Amino acid sequence: MGRYIIKRLWHGVIVIFGVTIFVFVVTRLVGDPVKVMLPLEATIEQRAAFEKQLGLDRPIWVQFVDFMTALARLDFGDSLWQHRPAMTIVFEKLPLTLELAFLGIGLAFVLSIPLGIVASLRPGGISDRSTIFVSLIGLSVPQFWLGLLLIVIFAVQLRWLPTSGVDTPAHIILPTVTMALPALARMVMIVRSSMIDELNQQYVKTCTAKGLPIYRVVGVHALRNASLPVVTLCGWELIRAIAGYSVVVETVFAWPGLGLTAIQAIEREDLILLQAIVFTVAVIVVFINILMDLVYTLIDPRLKLA
Amino acid sequence: MKRIQRLLIVSLAVCLVGFTAAPVLGHEITIALGSEPTTLDPQLREDGGERAVNDNIYETLMARYPDGTLVPGLAASEPKLLDPTTWEVKLCPGIKFHNGEPFNADAVVYSIQRIIDPKFNSEQISFFNTIKGAEKVDDLTVRIFTTGPDPILLSRLYWMKMVPPVHSKDPKFAETPVGTGPFKFVKWTRGQTIVLEANPEYCGPKTEITKVTYRFVSDPGTRLAGLKAGEFDVITNLLPEFTKEVPQAIHIMGLEFPIIILSADSGPTKDVRVRQALNYAVDKKALADGLFEGFAQISPGQLLSPSFFGFNKDVEAYPYDPEKAKALLREAGATGATVELVGTAGRWLKDREIVEAVASFWDKVGVKTKVRIFEFNEYLNRLFDRKTRADAIFVVSSNELMDADKSFSAYYKAGGVGSSNSDKELAALIDEARTETDVDKRAALYHQAVKRAYDQAYFVWLLNIEDIYGVSKKLDWSGRVDAKILVSEMKIKK
Repeated sequence: MGRYIIKRLWHGVIVIFGVTIFVFVVTRLVGDPVKVMLPLEATIEQRAAFEKQLGLDRPIWVQFVDFMTALARLDFGDSLWQHRPAMTIVFEKLPLTLELAFLGIGLAFVLSIPLGIVASLRPGGISDRSTIFVSLIGLSVPQFWLGLLLIVIFAVQLRWLPTSGVDTPAHIILPTVTMALPALARMVMIVRSSMIDELNQQYVKTCTAKGLPIYRVVGVHALRNASLPVVTLCGWELIRAIAGYSVVVETVFAWPGLGLTAIQAIEREDLILLQAIVFTVAVIVVFINILMDLVYTLIDPRLKLA
Repeated sequence: MKRIQRLLIVSLAVCLVGFTAAPVLGHEITIALGSEPTTLDPQLREDGGERAVNDNIYETLMARYPDGTLVPGLAASEPKLLDPTTWEVKLCPGIKFHNGEPFNADAVVYSIQRIIDPKFNSEQISFFNTIKGAEKVDDLTVRIFTTGPDPILLSRLYWMKMVPPVHSKDPKFAETPVGTGPFKFVKWTRGQTIVLEANPEYCGPKTEITKVTYRFVSDPGTRLAGLKAGEFDVITNLLPEFTKEVPQAIHIMGLEFPIIILSADSGPTKDVRVRQALNYAVDKKALADGLFEGFAQISPGQLLSPSFFGFNKDVEAYPYDPEKAKALLREAGATGATVELVGTAGRWLKDREIVEAVASFWDKVGVKTKVRIFEFNEYLNRLFDRKTRADAIFVVSSNELMDADKSFSAYYKAGGVGSSNSDKELAALIDEARTETDVDKRAALYHQAVKRAYDQAYFVWLLNIEDIYGVSKKLDWSGRVDAKILVSEMKIKK
């Protein structure tokens, strides 16, 4: 167990380094913050001075060595755009993104299990078909559009909830729902299909035959066996929420988290901040993956960590 | 049962009291900006979000009326030119910063020296690089020295915010701004809000708005929703297609001018007749109506709008005349020639759409337009490429100083970062105007430059885009040509 975790951590470190180096190289090759950050009418001399000030006039390998030594101290330097330490900005924004991702995916997880079970009990029945129908809609709707739709209905028309921002608990409802719905749709489908698989197993028939109540058969025996793919998907959704969906949802709801900040950093070619964000997200992704592996062994003791 | 009844009655009463006792919110407003300030130090960054907030906290020696007329601000009267490089400024007496520091000659000298100090590394330095220094004469008189004759100094002073000498040395200054303006800083919750309140000691006209909250919403659809839901009173950069949905759409001539730079040195556009033809070929009215829902005006054949210094009112837009365009192309033997048109997408409002519309107008009169849309960085490589100029490059020029010098030096003058001509005579006019301190002579030089560039058709002048704000029902405001959002000018509708 301990050895396994150490091995996974080691792999994680390699992944994180790989991603960080990749981002370093790509941003240096593709982007040029000097051009983008100065006004169009700035003169050639002003541009050169600015480049020097940012240290971008040095050879790329010199910049890389600097970058790696600073990285060892987790110091990415000051954001080119905000002129504050990039890590300070990341730690300021990260809790908001995690809050949104955990609430959204948590909500999806909690709802997907009963919905999926109900659908699986009578495959082809009305509850099953309507679940599939609604899930397909949930899967096909673009998230930014869903967010705007919810804003128009619940904030503009009904005025029950605020349109955007983070002031009160009411502010988190719409972003959470927007985050949850597509994930919920996918998770319901998985719960449903793996429950259908399990309910057709021999042991379920045995349980029913010996007179166990249906809720115990379904809720305890079948569900436990069916939960492995669900947990896998849940972890994957969490990763996507933090590393991907947050960008869309946070932009639509003006939620000042890491996703919105990443987009703004890209628009402004803020290489430093971007590196810090990608690094942090990579660490989180690796961490969630390791966590998922541990959860597997808790659910299914037959799985041995090797 | 009785307990439930009592409970119901009490809660009903509480609700009623709650509703009736709600404070009158009429004098508090919320403004949604597209981006959050990165700092609230008014001298450090080139940052629209920072300006939108600090324009209400800080003041400048020179100010502008909403129509753009330059007038004394913190200066008691228009600064006087003592010799070609020395200006004398008299200051308004009795003004204090929000923390009680006096506003006087020392504060002015300090503010000027702070921003031009190379160690301070201000991003705004390109506005002030002609200023050499300043010196106190007496408590309310300051002399400002320029490196050479600088006719734009007054416009520059309108851009330089005055900071308090003591408090600005505080490391927390960038988060706790202190100015002399009509609003005082209250609180900044990063990522969420900035709150200001009216400064009761402000000596200018009393503001009707007593408290203003700034919110930062980058998505235009979300800003619109917030206005419609009654959460915001002013939203910036309203898209033209949304104007019918808001309680009030305020529009006013902005500072952005989309143009197409034609290469006068190479390609088919080397021939002046071709360049003129490309001007005649474009129906600018259709662009304004079709792409901007009418919230743009036809550019009067120059990279200036009427409120700018140097505007030549005798020059008018090339009319839409496809027949004349065809004839000119035939005459130049350029019918069927290929013209490369370089643009970018997503940087400026409707940038790609404008380029595509122009290309189709050009195609109709008989040139083959090769549209090349690049990612912004690659696009900038083409725009700044001094060796090989594309036949035609789309660009949106903006000009905050409202003086011809900046945009003419960049685009009109041979060798400027984005210019595509090598017209020495035009360059000489621009250089001469740059140091001519006699206002009338200087204006005349620009009038000549405008006319010459117009006759030579170095550009296809397209539109002057209007700034559009969405405004709630309760506010009475009409915007400013300098794009500042001054809360003190907003009124509550009676």
